[in-house]
Amino acid sequence: MPESVPSSLIIDAFKEIFQAERGAGKRHEPLGWVISVPDTHQKSVLAALDKERSLRVITCSTEDDANAVAAGLYMTGEPVIVMIQHAGLYASVNTIRGISMDGKVPIFYMIGLLSREKDKDPKDSRHSMVRFAEPLLDVFGIPHARMEGPDDVKLIPEYYRKSRERKGPAAVLVGLETA
Amino acid sequence: MMKPEEILKLIAAARGTAICVPTMTTGPAWRTLAPDDLSVGCVGFMGGASALGLGLALGAPDRRVIVFDGDGSLLMQLGSLATIAGAAPRNLTHLLFKNGVYHTSGSQETPGGQGVDFAAMAKAAGYRSTCTISTLDDLKKRLPALLSDEGPIMAQLMTGLADSTPMNSPPGTPFHQQVANVRAKVSAAG
Repeated sequence: MPESVPSSLIIDAFKEIFQAERGAGKRHEPLGWVISVPDTHQKSVLAALDKERSLRVITCSTEDDANAVAAGLYMTGEPVIVMIQHAGLYASVNTIRGISMDGKVPIFYMIGLLSREKDKDPKDSRHSMVRFAEPLLDVFGIPHARMEGPDDVKLIPEYYRKSRERKGPAAVLVGLETA
Repeated sequence: MMKPEEILKLIAAARGTAICVPTMTTGPAWRTLAPDDLSVGCVGFMGGASALGLGLALGAPDRRVIVFDGDGSLLMQLGSLATIAGAAPRNLTHLLFKNGVYHTSGSQETPGGQGVDFAAMAKAAGYRSTCTISTLDDLKKRLPALLSDEGPIMAQLMTGLADSTPMNSPPGTPFHQQVANVRAKVSAAG
Protein backbone atom coordinates (compact mmCIF):
# COMPACT_ATOMS: atom_id res chain seq x y z
CA MET A 1 0.00 0.00 0.00
CA PRO A 2 1.29 3.51 -0.71
CA GLU A 3 2.29 5.75 2.19
CA SER A 4 2.47 9.50 2.70
CA VAL A 5 5.92 11.04 2.49
CA PRO A 6 6.93 13.52 5.21
CA SER A 7 7.55 17.03 3.93
CA SER A 8 10.93 17.16 5.68
CA LEU A 9 12.26 14.34 3.51
CA ILE A 10 11.12 16.11 0.36
CA ILE A 11 12.64 19.43 1.36
CA ASP A 12 15.92 17.75 2.29
CA ALA A 13 15.95 16.16 -1.17
CA PHE A 14 15.39 19.59 -2.75
CA LYS A 15 18.24 21.08 -0.76
CA GLU A 16 20.63 18.29 -1.68
CA ILE A 17 19.79 18.75 -5.35
CA PHE A 18 20.37 22.49 -5.18
CA GLN A 19 23.60 22.11 -3.21
CA ALA A 20 24.89 19.63 -5.77
CA GLU A 21 23.88 21.96 -8.60
CA ARG A 22 25.59 24.95 -7.01
CA GLY A 23 28.70 22.98 -6.17
CA ALA A 24 31.10 23.81 -3.41
CA GLY A 25 32.34 27.32 -3.00
CA LYS A 26 30.62 30.57 -2.49
CA ARG A 27 27.38 30.83 -0.59
CA HIS A 28 24.25 31.38 -2.64
CA GLU A 29 21.07 33.14 -1.62
CA PRO A 30 18.71 31.60 -2.26
CA LEU A 31 20.09 28.09 -2.49
CA GLY A 32 17.42 27.29 -5.07
CA TRP A 33 13.96 28.17 -6.33
CA VAL A 34 10.65 26.39 -5.95
CA ILE A 35 8.04 27.59 -8.42
CA SER A 36 4.60 26.65 -7.26
CA VAL A 37 0.96 26.77 -8.11
CA PRO A 38 -0.38 25.59 -4.78
CA ASP A 39 -1.37 21.93 -4.74
CA THR A 40 -3.59 20.57 -1.99
CA HIS A 41 -1.83 17.22 -2.25
CA GLN A 42 1.56 18.78 -1.40
CA LYS A 43 0.32 21.40 1.05
CA SER A 44 2.45 20.13 3.94
CA VAL A 45 5.55 20.70 1.78
CA LEU A 46 4.40 24.20 0.87
CA ALA A 47 3.74 24.96 4.54
CA ALA A 48 7.22 23.76 5.50
CA LEU A 49 8.75 25.76 2.64
CA ASP A 50 7.19 28.90 4.11
CA LYS A 51 9.52 28.49 7.07
CA GLU A 52 12.54 27.55 4.97
CA ARG A 53 14.75 30.62 4.55
CA SER A 54 17.33 29.09 2.21
CA LEU A 55 14.86 28.34 -0.57
CA ARG A 56 12.77 30.95 -2.34
CA VAL A 57 9.24 30.04 -3.31
CA ILE A 58 7.53 31.93 -6.13
CA THR A 59 3.79 31.38 -6.18
CA CYS A 60 2.35 31.72 -9.67
CA SER A 61 -1.15 32.45 -10.88
CA THR A 62 -1.07 29.60 -13.39
CA GLU A 63 1.08 26.67 -14.41
CA ASP A 64 1.78 28.51 -17.68
CA ASP A 65 3.42 31.22 -15.59
CA ALA A 66 5.29 28.60 -13.57
CA ASN A 67 6.84 27.04 -16.65
CA ALA A 68 7.94 30.38 -18.09
CA VAL A 69 9.36 31.61 -14.77
CA ALA A 70 11.30 28.36 -14.42
CA ALA A 71 12.69 28.77 -17.95
CA GLY A 72 13.81 32.33 -17.23
CA LEU A 73 15.58 31.23 -14.06
CA TYR A 74 17.25 28.35 -15.91
CA MET A 75 18.61 30.78 -18.47
CA THR A 76 20.36 32.66 -15.69
CA GLY A 77 21.91 29.48 -14.31
CA GLU A 78 19.60 29.14 -11.31
CA PRO A 79 18.39 25.73 -10.04
CA VAL A 80 14.60 25.32 -10.07
CA ILE A 81 11.90 22.82 -9.14
CA VAL A 82 8.26 23.24 -10.21
CA MET A 83 5.46 21.98 -7.94
CA ILE A 84 2.01 21.63 -9.49
CA GLN A 85 -1.07 19.44 -9.45
CA HIS A 86 -2.31 17.06 -12.15
CA ALA A 87 -5.00 19.58 -13.13
CA GLY A 88 -2.22 22.12 -13.71
CA LEU A 89 -0.41 19.64 -15.91
CA TYR A 90 -3.51 19.41 -18.09
CA ALA A 91 -3.88 23.19 -18.08
CA SER A 92 -0.35 23.87 -19.26
CA VAL A 93 0.46 21.23 -21.85
CA ASN A 94 1.09 23.75 -24.64
CA THR A 95 3.54 25.68 -22.50
CA ILE A 96 5.35 22.51 -21.44
CA ARG A 97 5.58 21.52 -25.10
CA GLY A 98 6.78 24.93 -26.19
CA ILE A 99 9.24 25.65 -23.40
CA SER A 100 10.52 22.42 -21.94
CA MET A 101 10.21 20.10 -24.95
CA ASP A 102 10.79 22.25 -28.03
CA GLY A 103 12.84 24.79 -26.10
CA LYS A 104 14.96 22.06 -24.52
CA VAL A 105 14.66 23.66 -21.09
CA PRO A 106 15.22 21.10 -18.34
CA ILE A 107 12.30 21.42 -15.97
CA PHE A 108 11.68 18.99 -13.13
CA TYR A 109 8.10 18.74 -11.90
CA MET A 110 6.57 17.44 -8.69
CA ILE A 111 2.95 16.68 -9.67
CA GLY A 112 0.35 15.93 -7.03
CA LEU A 113 -2.24 13.25 -7.78
CA LEU A 114 -5.05 14.84 -5.77
CA SER A 115 -7.94 12.44 -5.03
CA ARG A 116 -5.90 9.35 -5.85
CA GLU A 117 -7.40 6.45 -3.87
CA LYS A 118 -4.96 4.75 -1.50
CA ASP A 119 -6.10 1.27 -2.50
CA LYS A 120 -6.05 1.81 -6.25
CA ASP A 121 -3.51 2.11 -8.97
CA PRO A 122 -4.04 5.52 -10.62
CA LYS A 123 -5.10 3.85 -13.86
CA ASP A 124 -8.05 2.34 -11.98
CA SER A 125 -9.06 5.55 -10.22
CA ARG A 126 -12.64 6.68 -10.51
CA HIS A 127 -11.34 10.22 -11.04
CA SER A 128 -10.36 11.09 -14.60
CA MET A 129 -7.85 13.67 -13.37
CA VAL A 130 -6.01 10.88 -11.57
CA ARG A 131 -6.30 8.35 -14.42
CA PHE A 132 -5.04 10.57 -17.22
CA ALA A 133 -1.88 12.10 -15.70
CA GLU A 134 0.54 9.24 -16.37
CA PRO A 135 -0.87 8.44 -19.84
CA LEU A 136 -0.58 12.14 -20.76
CA LEU A 137 3.07 12.20 -19.70
CA ASP A 138 3.59 9.05 -21.80
CA VAL A 139 2.01 10.70 -24.85
CA PHE A 140 4.49 13.56 -24.51
CA GLY A 141 7.39 11.18 -23.88
CA ILE A 142 8.07 12.79 -20.51
CA PRO A 143 9.94 10.47 -18.14
CA HIS A 144 8.06 10.03 -14.89
CA ALA A 145 7.86 7.93 -11.75
CA ARG A 146 5.44 7.76 -8.85
CA MET A 147 6.50 8.43 -5.27
CA GLU A 148 4.57 5.88 -3.21
CA GLY A 149 6.35 6.17 0.13
CA PRO A 150 9.41 7.47 1.97
CA ASP A 151 11.69 4.98 0.22
CA ASP A 152 10.82 6.63 -3.09
CA VAL A 153 12.19 10.06 -2.14
CA LYS A 154 15.31 9.03 -4.06
CA LEU A 155 13.23 9.45 -7.23
CA ILE A 156 13.37 13.22 -6.74
CA PRO A 157 17.11 13.64 -7.42
CA GLU A 158 16.99 10.86 -10.01
CA TYR A 159 14.32 12.57 -12.12
CA TYR A 160 15.79 16.01 -11.56
CA ARG A 161 19.01 14.65 -13.08
CA LYS A 162 17.04 13.10 -15.92
CA SER A 163 15.58 16.49 -16.81
CA ARG A 164 19.11 17.96 -16.93
CA GLU A 165 20.58 15.08 -18.92
CA ARG A 166 17.86 15.08 -21.57
CA LYS A 167 17.39 18.87 -21.54
CA GLY A 168 13.64 18.56 -21.22
CA PRO A 169 10.87 17.80 -18.76
CA ALA A 170 10.85 14.99 -16.21
CA ALA A 171 8.38 14.43 -13.40
CA VAL A 172 7.76 12.72 -10.09
CA LEU A 173 4.10 12.14 -9.33
CA VAL A 174 3.15 12.40 -5.68
CA GLY A 175 1.00 9.33 -5.04
CA LEU A 176 -0.52 10.26 -1.70
CA GLU A 177 -0.93 13.55 0.10
CA THR A 178 2.35 14.50 1.75
CA ALA A 179 2.60 14.45 5.56
CA MET B 1 -0.03 56.14 -32.64
CA MET B 2 3.62 55.18 -32.44
CA LYS B 3 5.26 52.81 -34.91
CA PRO B 4 6.53 49.72 -33.07
CA GLU B 5 9.77 49.85 -35.06
CA GLU B 6 10.45 53.40 -33.88
CA ILE B 7 9.92 52.37 -30.27
CA LEU B 8 12.27 49.42 -30.66
CA LYS B 9 14.96 51.64 -32.19
CA LEU B 10 14.87 53.86 -29.10
CA ILE B 11 15.11 50.85 -26.81
CA ALA B 12 17.94 49.27 -28.80
CA ALA B 13 19.94 52.46 -28.36
CA ALA B 14 19.23 52.73 -24.63
CA ARG B 15 19.12 49.13 -23.35
CA GLY B 16 22.78 48.69 -22.39
CA THR B 17 23.23 45.14 -21.10
CA ALA B 18 19.54 44.49 -20.59
CA ILE B 19 18.07 41.13 -21.52
CA CYS B 20 15.13 41.65 -23.88
CA VAL B 21 12.11 39.40 -24.37
CA PRO B 22 10.22 40.20 -27.58
CA THR B 23 7.05 38.39 -28.57
CA MET B 24 4.87 38.16 -31.69
CA THR B 25 5.12 41.25 -33.93
CA THR B 26 8.03 42.85 -32.09
CA GLY B 27 10.13 39.78 -32.89
CA PRO B 28 11.07 40.34 -36.56
CA ALA B 29 12.00 44.01 -36.13
CA TRP B 30 13.96 43.32 -32.93
CA ARG B 31 16.00 40.58 -34.62
CA THR B 32 17.14 43.15 -37.16
CA LEU B 33 17.79 45.92 -34.66
CA ALA B 34 19.52 43.82 -31.99
CA PRO B 35 20.94 40.61 -33.45
CA ASP B 36 22.67 39.57 -30.24
CA ASP B 37 22.64 36.80 -27.66
CA LEU B 38 20.92 38.80 -24.95
CA SER B 39 17.43 38.48 -26.35
CA VAL B 40 15.05 35.55 -26.13
CA GLY B 41 11.79 35.60 -28.04
CA CYS B 42 8.64 34.10 -26.63
CA VAL B 43 8.00 31.76 -29.53
CA GLY B 44 5.63 28.79 -29.41
CA PHE B 45 3.94 29.62 -26.12
CA MET B 46 2.05 32.85 -26.78
CA GLY B 47 1.34 34.73 -23.57
CA GLY B 48 4.47 33.63 -21.75
CA ALA B 49 6.72 36.65 -22.36
CA SER B 50 5.99 38.42 -19.09
CA ALA B 51 6.53 35.32 -16.92
CA LEU B 52 9.67 34.44 -18.87
CA GLY B 53 10.91 37.95 -18.17
CA LEU B 54 10.09 37.52 -14.50
CA GLY B 55 12.25 34.40 -14.26
CA LEU B 56 15.12 36.18 -15.98
CA ALA B 57 14.77 39.20 -13.72
CA LEU B 58 14.78 37.10 -10.55
CA GLY B 59 17.79 35.11 -11.67
CA ALA B 60 19.81 38.09 -12.91
CA PRO B 61 19.01 40.81 -10.37
CA ASP B 62 21.92 42.99 -11.47
CA ARG B 63 20.63 43.31 -15.01
CA ARG B 64 17.58 45.07 -16.38
CA VAL B 65 15.09 42.79 -18.11
CA ILE B 66 12.75 44.35 -20.67
CA VAL B 67 9.67 42.50 -21.91
CA PHE B 68 8.10 43.61 -25.20
CA ASP B 69 4.62 42.21 -24.64
CA GLY B 70 1.53 42.43 -26.81
CA ASP B 71 -2.02 43.09 -25.71
CA GLY B 72 -3.36 39.87 -27.23
CA SER B 73 -0.42 38.00 -25.74
CA LEU B 74 -0.82 39.38 -22.24
CA LEU B 75 -4.53 38.58 -22.29
CA MET B 76 -3.57 34.91 -22.62
CA GLN B 77 -1.72 34.99 -19.27
CA LEU B 78 -3.22 38.00 -17.57
CA GLY B 79 -2.62 36.42 -14.17
CA SER B 80 1.10 37.00 -14.77
CA LEU B 81 0.51 40.60 -13.66
CA ALA B 82 -0.21 39.33 -10.15
CA THR B 83 2.59 36.76 -10.34
CA ILE B 84 5.03 39.55 -11.21
CA ALA B 85 3.68 41.94 -8.60
CA GLY B 86 3.94 39.22 -5.95
CA ALA B 87 7.55 38.41 -6.81
CA ALA B 88 8.33 42.15 -7.05
CA PRO B 89 11.45 42.10 -9.26
CA ARG B 90 13.13 45.50 -8.99
CA ASN B 91 14.78 45.13 -12.40
CA LEU B 92 11.80 44.28 -14.62
CA THR B 93 10.38 46.69 -17.20
CA HIS B 94 7.23 45.41 -18.85
CA LEU B 95 6.46 47.27 -22.08
CA LEU B 96 3.00 46.55 -23.42
CA PHE B 97 2.66 47.25 -27.15
CA LYS B 98 -1.03 47.93 -27.47
CA ASN B 99 -2.55 47.88 -30.94
CA GLY B 100 -5.97 46.45 -30.07
CA VAL B 101 -5.77 43.55 -32.52
CA TYR B 102 -4.28 40.12 -33.09
CA HIS B 103 -2.06 41.38 -35.88
CA THR B 104 -0.39 38.07 -36.71
CA SER B 105 -3.60 36.14 -37.28
CA GLY B 106 -5.27 38.80 -39.45
CA SER B 107 -5.93 41.76 -37.17
CA GLN B 108 -9.05 40.51 -35.44
CA GLU B 109 -9.94 42.84 -32.56
CA THR B 110 -8.74 41.69 -29.13
CA PRO B 111 -11.44 41.20 -26.46
CA GLY B 112 -12.28 44.69 -25.28
CA GLY B 113 -10.11 46.21 -28.01
CA GLN B 114 -8.60 49.58 -27.23
CA GLY B 115 -10.85 49.94 -24.19
CA VAL B 116 -8.78 47.60 -22.05
CA ASP B 117 -6.40 49.56 -19.80
CA PHE B 118 -3.42 47.32 -19.08
CA ALA B 119 -1.57 50.00 -17.16
CA ALA B 120 -4.49 50.29 -14.76
CA MET B 121 -4.60 46.50 -14.43
CA ALA B 122 -0.88 46.34 -13.67
CA LYS B 123 -1.19 49.09 -11.09
CA ALA B 124 -4.12 47.35 -9.46
CA ALA B 125 -2.16 44.08 -9.44
CA GLY B 126 0.63 45.76 -7.50
CA TYR B 127 3.27 46.97 -9.99
CA ARG B 128 5.46 49.64 -8.47
CA SER B 129 4.72 52.11 -11.25
CA THR B 130 2.74 52.22 -14.48
CA CYS B 131 2.08 54.71 -17.25
CA THR B 132 0.56 55.05 -20.68
CA ILE B 133 2.59 56.60 -23.50
CA SER B 134 1.13 57.72 -26.82
CA THR B 135 3.91 59.69 -28.52
CA LEU B 136 7.54 59.10 -29.34
CA ASP B 137 8.52 62.40 -27.76
CA ASP B 138 6.96 61.35 -24.49
CA LEU B 139 8.63 57.95 -24.71
CA LYS B 140 12.03 59.58 -25.32
CA LYS B 141 11.59 61.65 -22.18
CA ARG B 142 10.49 58.74 -20.01
CA LEU B 143 12.71 55.98 -21.36
CA PRO B 144 15.73 56.53 -19.08
CA ALA B 145 13.53 56.21 -16.01
CA LEU B 146 11.65 53.26 -17.45
CA LEU B 147 14.95 51.43 -17.84
CA SER B 148 16.45 52.36 -14.50
CA ASP B 149 13.74 53.00 -11.90
CA GLU B 150 12.82 50.32 -9.44
CA GLY B 151 10.34 47.84 -10.84
CA PRO B 152 8.21 46.15 -11.64
CA ILE B 153 7.29 48.87 -14.12
CA MET B 154 4.63 48.69 -16.80
CA ALA B 155 4.44 51.15 -19.69
CA GLN B 156 1.45 50.77 -21.95
CA LEU B 157 2.55 51.95 -25.39
CA MET B 158 -0.16 52.99 -27.82
CA THR B 159 0.99 51.73 -31.20
CA GLY B 160 -0.07 51.15 -34.75
CA LEU B 161 0.72 47.93 -36.57
CA ALA B 162 4.25 46.67 -37.11
CA ASP B 163 5.54 46.36 -40.67
CA SER B 164 6.12 42.62 -40.25
CA THR B 165 4.65 39.72 -38.37
CA PRO B 166 6.23 36.36 -37.58
CA MET B 167 4.10 34.92 -40.41
CA ASN B 168 5.54 37.07 -43.18
CA SER B 169 9.12 37.25 -41.94
CA PRO B 170 12.03 34.84 -42.23
CA PRO B 171 12.33 32.60 -39.19
CA GLY B 172 14.72 33.73 -36.49
CA THR B 173 17.07 31.67 -34.36
CA PRO B 174 15.13 28.67 -32.97
CA PHE B 175 13.90 29.17 -29.41
CA HIS B 176 16.05 26.40 -27.97
CA GLN B 177 19.15 28.01 -29.46
CA GLN B 178 18.17 31.41 -28.06
CA VAL B 179 17.78 29.78 -24.64
CA ALA B 180 21.25 28.25 -24.90
CA ASN B 181 22.75 31.54 -26.10
CA VAL B 182 21.27 33.62 -23.29
CA ARG B 183 22.23 31.03 -20.67
CA ALA B 184 25.79 30.94 -21.93
CA LYS B 185 26.09 34.71 -22.01
CA VAL B 186 24.40 35.46 -18.68
CA SER B 187 26.08 32.60 -16.80
CA ALA B 188 29.48 33.60 -18.18
CA ALA B 189 28.93 37.15 -16.99
CA GLY B 190 28.21 35.80 -13.49
